[in-house]
Amino acid sequence: MRAGGKLILLLITLLMPSLAWAADKVALTSAVFVEKQTVDSDGRAHVALQTPKMVTPGDRLVFILRYQNQGIAPARQFTVTNPLPSAVSYEGTADDAALVSVDGGQNWGSLPTLRVKEDDGRWRSARPDEVTHIRWTLAQPLQAGATGKLSFRGTVR
Amino acid sequence: MTSKLKLCIMAGGVSVLALGATPAFATGTAAGSSISNVATVGYSVGGVPQSGVTSNTSTFTVDRKIDLLVTEPGNSTFSVTPGQSGAYTTFRVTNLGNATMDFKLTVAQLAGGTAPHTGTDSFDVTGVSLFVDTNGNGTYEAGTDTAITFLDEIAQDTFRTVFVVANVPVAATNGQIAALSLTAQAEAGGTAGTEGAVLTNDSGTANTAGIDNVFADAAGTDDIVRDGRSSARDDYTVTAPVLTVTKQSRIVSDLINGTTNPKYIPGATVEYCIIVANSGTSAANSVAIADTLPIQTTGDTTYGLFQGGTVTAGVCNLDGTAGGTITATAVNGSLGTLAAGTTRSIYFRVTIN
Repeated sequence: MRAGGKLILLLITLLMPSLAWAADKVALTSAVFVEKQTVDSDGRAHVALQTPKMVTPGDRLVFILRYQNQGIAPARQFTVTNPLPSAVSYEGTADDAALVSVDGGQNWGSLPTLRVKEDDGRWRSARPDEVTHIRWTLAQPLQAGATGKLSFRGTVR
Repeated sequence: MTSKLKLCIMAGGVSVLALGATPAFATGTAAGSSISNVATVGYSVGGVPQSGVTSNTSTFTVDRKIDLLVTEPGNSTFSVTPGQSGAYTTFRVTNLGNATMDFKLTVAQLAGGTAPHTGTDSFDVTGVSLFVDTNGNGTYEAGTDTAITFLDEIAQDTFRTVFVVANVPVAATNGQIAALSLTAQAEAGGTAGTEGAVLTNDSGTANTAGIDNVFADAAGTDDIVRDGRSSARDDYTVTAPVLTVTKQSRIVSDLINGTTNPKYIPGATVEYCIIVANSGTSAANSVAIADTLPIQTTGDTTYGLFQGGTVTAGVCNLDGTAGGTITATAVNGSLGTLAAGTTRSIYFRVTIN
């Protein structure tokens, strides 16, 4: 039922895109940083997030998604989906409520609940580096004007 | 209808996943690859699902990680003999970085100091040249393997076997060691058959949005950590025969006393035994003995010359076979090949004039 409504809305959107956007709009931005360890003159290690200009395999990345409800009504079932770039190996997210997929978005769950079928037909627990998608669903409606931030970590394969 | 659409998308996602799992990423994402991230948001307002919103694309370029490793896979010295040509030591050069590279190769001979396997460096080989194992069989073959000064277009996660080929001076002696090091230095790849420019480390300099070079190599035997180089050592050890010659004589008989308590008087018969011992670590071939007899003596051509006699505790066993030449004034004998650690003799008789 919901999926059908979505399709209809999609058609409407295609026909009158400007109208639909003007009515209820949310904004989503994606940013990526690389974690660099530096050691100060006292020998203490510091971790700094830098713009990813010097990145090589094995470097740790932090992806940050910022969202805002720019509309006038609360946004419900607010779901952010991020397919992982193929060259990035998933490391985790601080948000326990996030769900991941290891099969291209077919099945979702927390990582410990997901299984992967081996070539010999046996099932085993999925590994973090097999994550293909990550998804967050806000428990509460996002009020008009409200903002938020989501993040997850990965490494360059 | 909708579910069909979803299936199509999922199939697309699966194929992308399969691509991502190819061994191309075995040692890391290739330099110059672009990593882009996009997220989407779906939501509903007033119970009505809204069309999804796609974020901006955050993109960066993977830089060139330069990591290489030179090893000496045999972990043993290469035994050579004095005067040997085409003596080779074996090295392996591996590209651990994320880009195809050229590697400049240089050989340095140690000047004394501890040799990599055992002992101390004590001589230098000559005519050092480098060859790449063209057919990949791990053995140097003159005429098959190609002479090189650099390794061309080494893909990430692959290695080449490199031979250092040299000649051993004839003057080299048993047990001497010639140690050398092979250093590989990272150069830009990209053009087959052309040696690329030596790369410099961009770590610590201003980052650029383009492809920076990041040195990640470990220290080798003759280079430091993160210098774009790797090195290892190997050595040649000389195995040569070491010959010692001793000459013994004993009185056999004289014309007055016969064989009973004979004396060294004119007309007496004296037996000479020339002992050759090889205390080296390899065989001596074509061992020849020439002896000019003292002018006061005359060679006994009737008795003749015996060769290949064994020796026990320094005493000739007189069990050789007749051969060689003996004249009134000179002896020429042969022991053929004298294996390492063996002793043989020739013996003959003379008459005191």
